[in-house]
Amino acid sequence: MCLGIPAKVIDIDDSRQGKVDYLGTKVRVSFALLEDIRPGDWVIVHAGFAITKLDQEEARETLSLLREIARESRTSEDDERAPG
Amino acid sequence: MMKELRDKTVTEALLKKIKDRADSRGSPARIMEVCGTHTMTIHRYGLKIPLEEAGIEMVSGPGCPVCITPNEIHEACLELVTQRENTILATFGDMTRVPTHKGSLQTAVPAPASQVKIVYSPEEALELALADSTKEVIFFGVGFETTIPSVALTVKRAQKERVANFSVLSALWLIPPAMRALLEAGETRIDGFLYPGHVSAIIGSRPYRFIADDFGIPGAIAGFEPNDILLGIAAILDQLLIGRPDVYNEYRRVVQPEGNPLALAAMRDVLETKDAVWRGLGRIPKSGLKLKGRYTAYDAEHKYHLRIDESSRDLPGCRCGEVLRGLVGPRQCSLYGKNCRPDSPCGPCMVSFEGACYIHYKYGDR
Repeated sequence: MCLGIPAKVIDIDDSRQGKVDYLGTKVRVSFALLEDIRPGDWVIVHAGFAITKLDQEEARETLSLLREIARESRTSEDDERAPG
Repeated sequence: MMKELRDKTVTEALLKKIKDRADSRGSPARIMEVCGTHTMTIHRYGLKIPLEEAGIEMVSGPGCPVCITPNEIHEACLELVTQRENTILATFGDMTRVPTHKGSLQTAVPAPASQVKIVYSPEEALELALADSTKEVIFFGVGFETTIPSVALTVKRAQKERVANFSVLSALWLIPPAMRALLEAGETRIDGFLYPGHVSAIIGSRPYRFIADDFGIPGAIAGFEPNDILLGIAAILDQLLIGRPDVYNEYRRVVQPEGNPLALAAMRDVLETKDAVWRGLGRIPKSGLKLKGRYTAYDAEHKYHLRIDESSRDLPGCRCGEVLRGLVGPRQCSLYGKNCRPDSPCGPCMVSFEGACYIHYKYGDR
């Protein structure tokens, strides 16, 4: 029920209706719950409404944290394998 | 980004971090995932057993709106569609399959020229009313804070466009009061909460503060990918280790501390709180919503003088109520997998794709 799908905004009209691209499928949604939305933004869609905009900077931070964890993990594996 | 959020190397590394922290804590931690969509990710990606091996017991909570809607509301809907002619009862798919003592919406025989119709959004229900003014359209609206603003805006639009043949039967539920009720009941030990990501996108992180401050229980808001969940659990363990309960926000790319102000304003404009009965949890103060006075024309309960009979009971043997309180797991129910399966459910926890029983049945213990 609380499944929310990340989708990219394609267009938005004056009545705050528009289309998003979800994995290549164009879907009509309402943007009435969001301010300052532009084509190219990423949003979470739930029950026909875009309920929140994705904060790209925060997304990048989480991404670099995950990459850091992956890097650390590979380094520690290499350390374990390193000959004494 | 999805690649990294599902990356197995990261998953392994995070599980190891979690195990190290659980080991230094010295005792296993019991963490409730409040949201059914989290339960789904945990099982789909096979995190349940690895987490157990790392010293973390995950417990499902009340976060499935289809599950916590009590039978009496379903029965009121059944009565509407079987007794009123020219009526369209529109609702989300899962809701039509919930079994009650009077059958389900799927098995009901509607009155002449009436029907049950599955919709994907409240707006779609309103479109049905706009398309045919000879039909009364009742939207059986179920959901948590994630869904509630969409229902509120749809009611506003109905009023603005003076749609007379549309109304909403509210099964709208608020998460924070239910969490308070769960904690006050004190029936089960919970060392930490994984807070629902998309409910939090609407309400923000502040409404959970009382759980850290008054009950001393750590928590983290998390997204719905496997590594989101593990980052959230690691943050909960950090709080347990240093003894400083907090509301950590792992899902910052989606959740702002103040939530979504436009959505909250729409909710406040159209709806007001009421005491409500949850399946399993009973009556919880200010945990449900009804339409405000100026929107009563769109309140199906008011419009059709519905009597919602609170003496309605779950089907015999169904332990859905206890599953929703985190008291038992699906396998502890004697109906599970025998009489109760997704194709012949005895309760909503086996119907909804967010229901703990359905998820266990579909993905197994892994």
